[in-house]
Amino acid sequence: MKKTFITLTLILTGFTLVFGQAKKPTLMVVPSDVWCNTNGYMMEFDNQGTKIKIPDYKRAMQENADLLLVIASINDMMAERGFPLKNMESAIKTLESNAAEDNMRMSKDGASVAENPIDMLKKVAKADIIIQMTWTVNQTGPKKAITFILQGLDAYTDKQIAGANGTGAPSFSAEVPVLLKEAVTAHIDNFTGSLQSHFEDMFANGREIIVRIQLWDGGEFDGDLETEMGPDDEELGTIIEDWMADNTVKGRFSTTDATETMMLFEQVRIDLYNAKGRAQDARRFVKGLSKVLKNEPYLIPNKVVMKGLGRATIILGGK
Amino acid sequence: MKKIINKATILTVIFIAIGLVSSAQISKKKKAQKDTEAWKYEIECVGIGKPGTKVVKVWSYSKKANVAENQSKKNAVHGMVFQGYSGGGQGCTNQKALITDPSVGEQKKEFFDNFFDINGGKYMKFVSHSSDATPEIIKVSMKGYKYKVGVIVTVNTNALRKDLEAAGVVKGLSSGF
Repeated sequence: MKKTFITLTLILTGFTLVFGQAKKPTLMVVPSDVWCNTNGYMMEFDNQGTKIKIPDYKRAMQENADLLLVIASINDMMAERGFPLKNMESAIKTLESNAAEDNMRMSKDGASVAENPIDMLKKVAKADIIIQMTWTVNQTGPKKAITFILQGLDAYTDKQIAGANGTGAPSFSAEVPVLLKEAVTAHIDNFTGSLQSHFEDMFANGREIIVRIQLWDGGEFDGDLETEMGPDDEELGTIIEDWMADNTVKGRFSTTDATETMMLFEQVRIDLYNAKGRAQDARRFVKGLSKVLKNEPYLIPNKVVMKGLGRATIILGGK
Repeated sequence: MKKIINKATILTVIFIAIGLVSSAQISKKKKAQKDTEAWKYEIECVGIGKPGTKVVKVWSYSKKANVAENQSKKNAVHGMVFQGYSGGGQGCTNQKALITDPSVGEQKKEFFDNFFDINGGKYMKFVSHSSDATPEIIKVSMKGYKYKVGVIVTVNTNALRKDLEAAGVVKGLSSGF
């Protein structure tokens, strides 16, 4: 009896350890476009006559010590709360070294590493939640004050899920780095507070994701999203919408766009765990729909494309 | 013989004096404990402390000024746990309470009774008097209270939050992941 009890306890503990945790989002602090522009860290391109500016993060990291101080302070405080952040500077360096290694790598037969154009596009420093940071130094005569803005942005839904901002006390004598450190100290609690509210909402109402449906041009599927099929002769778009309604938390999702060739679902709330008790992200969720469409009675071959924890696309008509 | 009697008298006087002082302290603590049960205080931010700490001014109410002063540390910790404060001067931003659900106080009553016990409650670990502040005493005419005493204290909110997380009273940022 005692042995059975111990075995059961061990099994349960193991189950909780393996399946009991939701997929943890990655966070990264990134200076905002406004900050990069104000401080001269922008790259300019001529795109068919239109001048386009994009932030030059690498140069900002290499040249601005205040930026490093702020990022390091935020990283420290988040790590102290059990949520270490991805460091952007390291992420950029890793990408560069990986690219160099991939260029040099060759198999014994002389083949190089396969990479399609999408793989190349995806080679950017990324995180599930971007902590966008801006500060300005306000100077009135000899007095200096810092206006500090922190925004937690969901990389998939583009929603601001956390934030803190304000202007610190003006000072005659304190230097900018001291004021910056003070600003981070003053705002980090409120920021983590709102981030925690977001996580609590996620645990209560599911993870919010984006799902897209597209069609291969000239693929193996003859119809489109308006083609009637299945036992009830429903339009394919409606069949997909019904699946979404059945499989989202409390049927919560919005059909933002729907044409014969594409559908866009936003504010899709999915369970953090699937039926097997495994942590679920957008890709795993959409795999369910992919299987339904691939099997009888629809028999539509399709491909699932993912982007991080919160965005997945099904392209109908082939792999 | 006379010497022995003198020595005995001095020792008796010393013992009585020690006894009186300690009983006065116990009674002061008891009064402070009784007064704080009503949690009658106000809390305001007076500056940005070192990372992980908050510098606050706590206004405690009591019939005696010294009792109110004794309550200040306890009230400060209670304020950070249950009340928070709105922003103010000196670059202060608003601070949410560590416990946002008010029912937690009732649900974990036994934990908080021990935590805020004036005789060695754990709250003492997370608060210290600010070195440069003298208590500000204001007379008030309120039912049950005669003094309002303002004391500046520093609360180690990081350590406090971690302790409450470890006790399962509040959720950590990474809990569930």
